Amino acid sequence: MSDNTLNNLPDGFKGMSHDMSSDQTAFKGVQWGKVMMWIFLLSDTFIFSCFLISYMKGRASTVVDWPNTSQVFSLHVGDVPVPLLLIAIMTFVLITSSGTMALAVKFGYEKNRKMCAWLILATAIGGLTFVGMQAFEWSKLIHEGVRPWENPFGAKQFGSFFFMITGFHGTHVSIGVIFLFIFARKTFRGDFDTGKRGYFTTMKSNYVAIEILGLYWHFVDLVWVFIFAFFYLW
Amino acid sequence: MSDEYNKQNTPIEAQSSETMSGSSGSTTDIDYVRPAELPEQDLYHGHSFITKWIFCQDAKVIGIQYFLTAVFTGIVGLILSWLMRLQLGFPDLVPFMTAEHYYQFVTMHGMIMVVYFLTALFLGGFGNYLIPLMVGARDMVFPYVNMVSFWMFFIAVCVLMASFFVPGGPTGAGWTLYPPQAILPGSPGSGMGIVLMLISLSLFVIGFTMGGLNYLITILQARTRGMTLMRMPLTIWGIFTATALAMLAFPALLVSCIMMTLDKLLETSFFMPAIVQAGEVLDYGGGSPVLFQHLFWFFGHPEVYIVALPAFGIVSDLISVHARKNIFGYRMMVWAIVGIGALSFFVWAHHMYVSGMNPWFGFFFATTTLIIAVPTALKVYNWIITLFRANIRMNTVMLFCLGFIVTFVNGGITGIFLGNVAVDIPLSDTYFVIAHFHMVMGIAPLMVIMGAVYHWFPLVTGRMLSEKLGKWHFWFTFLGAYSIYFPMHYLGFIGVPRRYFEMYDSPYVTSATGMNEFITVAALIVGASQFIFIYNIVTSLRLGKPAGKNPWKANSLEWLTSEVPPVHGNFGEKLPVVHRWPYDFNVPGAKEDYITQTTPPSEVINAEVEKT
Amino acid sequence: MHPGFIFLAVIVGSVLFHIFTPWWWTDIASNWGAMDDTINLTFWIGGGVFILVCLFMVYCILKFSYKEGRKVEYKPEDHKLEKILTIATTIGVIALLAPGLIVYNNYINVPKNALHVEVMAWQWGWQYRLPGEDGKLGTAQVIKISDENPFGINLDDPYGKDDILIQSDELHLKTNRPVKILLKSIDVLHNFYVPQFRSKMDAIPGIVTYYWFEPNKVGEYEVLCAEYCGVGHYAMRATVIVDSDENYENWINEQETFSSLIAKQNNKLEITRIAKNNN
Repeated sequence: MSDNTLNNLPDGFKGMSHDMSSDQTAFKGVQWGKVMMWIFLLSDTFIFSCFLISYMKGRASTVVDWPNTSQVFSLHVGDVPVPLLLIAIMTFVLITSSGTMALAVKFGYEKNRKMCAWLILATAIGGLTFVGMQAFEWSKLIHEGVRPWENPFGAKQFGSFFFMITGFHGTHVSIGVIFLFIFARKTFRGDFDTGKRGYFTTMKSNYVAIEILGLYWHFVDLVWVFIFAFFYLW
Repeated sequence: MSDEYNKQNTPIEAQSSETMSGSSGSTTDIDYVRPAELPEQDLYHGHSFITKWIFCQDAKVIGIQYFLTAVFTGIVGLILSWLMRLQLGFPDLVPFMTAEHYYQFVTMHGMIMVVYFLTALFLGGFGNYLIPLMVGARDMVFPYVNMVSFWMFFIAVCVLMASFFVPGGPTGAGWTLYPPQAILPGSPGSGMGIVLMLISLSLFVIGFTMGGLNYLITILQARTRGMTLMRMPLTIWGIFTATALAMLAFPALLVSCIMMTLDKLLETSFFMPAIVQAGEVLDYGGGSPVLFQHLFWFFGHPEVYIVALPAFGIVSDLISVHARKNIFGYRMMVWAIVGIGALSFFVWAHHMYVSGMNPWFGFFFATTTLIIAVPTALKVYNWIITLFRANIRMNTVMLFCLGFIVTFVNGGITGIFLGNVAVDIPLSDTYFVIAHFHMVMGIAPLMVIMGAVYHWFPLVTGRMLSEKLGKWHFWFTFLGAYSIYFPMHYLGFIGVPRRYFEMYDSPYVTSATGMNEFITVAALIVGASQFIFIYNIVTSLRLGKPAGKNPWKANSLEWLTSEVPPVHGNFGEKLPVVHRWPYDFNVPGAKEDYITQTTPPSEVINAEVEKT
Repeated sequence: MHPGFIFLAVIVGSVLFHIFTPWWWTDIASNWGAMDDTINLTFWIGGGVFILVCLFMVYCILKFSYKEGRKVEYKPEDHKLEKILTIATTIGVIALLAPGLIVYNNYINVPKNALHVEVMAWQWGWQYRLPGEDGKLGTAQVIKISDENPFGINLDDPYGKDDILIQSDELHLKTNRPVKILLKSIDVLHNFYVPQFRSKMDAIPGIVTYYWFEPNKVGEYEVLCAEYCGVGHYAMRATVIVDSDENYENWINEQETFSSLIAKQNNKLEITRIAKNNN
């Protein structure tokens, strides 16, 4: 990548039309992997949109009343039911992990291997905590009799949509956590500094990979915000 | 800053339609192309048979793997269609044909042909083979992911085929898989069959996403020096837009598959309202069957264009090369492809005019659907204007292109019938619909596929296909297919409903028994004539005339590789540098009737080429 | 022979096929003549375009077949021509769309005096319910369906009592009186379709869909299910008989109402109870 070309690019709309009409790359100076992640996330956005739109449609057209979410999702502290307590903590943990991820990317580009690795590890642990708390919430609801096919508190679609959508999101988080642990190990080992080749892909490691994983992680958090709003606040 | 940039005087700025005389300026100046932005791609070269031919990371091999797998499923689909046609033309002829089997064959035929054959063939097959070659890349940008993509597709096909052998057989829910019947005992294969179908589709989507990311990013970020978007062959534009559509449409399919699998296995009620079947109240309640239809067609309509757009692109290139004339209105063709692609997300409910959705949607979707007819018609005009005052080689490839134009125009016009809501109401769910979509997204894309095989076979294998057999193949296929589907429209006018195992003595069909028999015979002939094609391919692999380099005198990069057939890495030592669009045929003032994309302006100094 | 002639033969053959075809519309028996008109309009405009495009193609391939050294036009773009073609196509499309939308507007707006008929579909058959003297159908629920209550009518709904129940697949309609068909399904998707009436709509479990038409020709018509509904789809037929006013009244007076059905069943229950007691 010759820097003088990049620095000389025009800005704004002119820049966009210039980039689009130029040769070689349409997004100047953006790594292949990063473009891939953006486009993948766009596709994934459509998946979650379809889920959430189906949920809205399902909730709007069901004949039985929807359960009162602040009751269903409340957590008992002593004897006092506190609505949305667990979910508030979960959301806080996940958003915080986004913060640590962003810092990890920063330190990665600064070639601060140690800091970067620790922050990735912290992100992974945040994600793991989130998944753990979600498992707790699921088992609490299952204990209370909510199932994908039935729901003692009202419309049975509540259980179906809840388990399906949070489950799908939880799978995303879990996959993210696995990759975060792998990346933490790779960073500790210094793969990104030495450019060690990947075991499967045989491609050279590069710190950009951390940013790409970061993109995924922020996306998963963002989706959670929507799920949170639609399931817990509506 | 922007001013500084313009001073570089690069030839990559936006196009104008003025012709440029090459006589001004010095040689070094007019041949200038910006230096490479990216370092050479790091490739994994296979060493053993397994890494070279099976788990191979070379996009060309993956393309061939996709092609062969898709053709295999296509042959299965073809045989199923024979069985269906035999039942319709000559009931009771096939001894094992029951209504259950008939509906299973209908379903599997539809799903196989649309998803596992056409989509996989155009994007997986042609996409993988042609994209890196045509944009001047060494390979796809993520070769490993590309390999996994094929194997996911392969597993999806295996799961699909496995459903033929499970208890209850494959699903017989119709290829649209509409709930509630898809998962209720009233339909054949509502046990394991439908579950395997849904799993197979989900695997297909996952596999396709991996491939699709590769296609998009290779086209966006890995073009060679001088290859601007507006210098790409239309093939690439078609595949690019189709892939973009697929990336945004398949999510809806995946979601509906997941939800229906849960409805089936966990008895959730996403798509299932309260149902009384055979006197029993089922455990379902509160779901919406129409929701599935919306999700399905949000995928299903773009899917039509996922098949059609690559066909549009490829046929434009074939016509241009074999008519020895530039494609007329290249930029309009590009914008039409992109416009059709974008609009295709706003027309899905025209499949649902009689589905019981809110009737007011009809106005909106009829309007958007007919708007899409405008860019599509323009593409047709441009193809035939390209033929005007050209120098047309009447070879097999061109015949298939002409066959495409006839069938596509025919199918496109019947599409206007079905898109216009008031006209659709009497015709929907009749044989008119069957005739329409087979003409427009069955026969027309098939014509392109076959033309493309005749066109690129010399590139892939280094040998030509037999022209004589090719012409026989074409006439059998084209005339046969046309005589299947053209009269079939009239069955629809009578009002014969689709998906009928048997008509008994309904007046609608007794009058048309003869036609049904004729159609069946034609279908058998067309199917059988495909074996001419297969025979041609198999024999030409060994005995075909050696093709040499660039046998068609085409301009685009895939013909300009260092070796034919191209090897891993495609372009020898140095990547090609592109100076023009791929359609400079018969340029006034040029010595030959074609100027390849890599020919620098200084070599064709007197030609009045289009500035691209 | 030059391939152009074969293509020409295909075009000519298509036209001849259309002229001499014995297969065309069934005679229309409802008010939707306008639908036939829009189809014909589309047919003539579309068919004309098809023939023109194909003839132009044939002309090109006959005239410009490969000849070494033929002079070929090099004209990548022609803005004027492209503009003309765009505008002409747009006008054509509007000419097709506008009448279609007007007809569709009539299709979804049911006249006030329409007779309501509930069509209930199941795998694989039909039954019908007509409002009684009060002119209103009683509310009903799928889960209430049983042998005693084949339509699942709410027993406490007074409107339901006088509903006329037709548990046969033969439906009678009055000529020249609009009918609003209310479609219900108890299991999967179905579609109540009589080709002669031109109109159709899916029956969906869980909701009530509708369409309307005005039968205007006395006669007997076959009903076909037009939405795939499982193995028995092809056998899901019924009959619609369009009657003159007099015959219609005779027929409707013979039909059973919901209250008489309940009474009969109570009677039957009583009889079986007595019979059991006697044993």
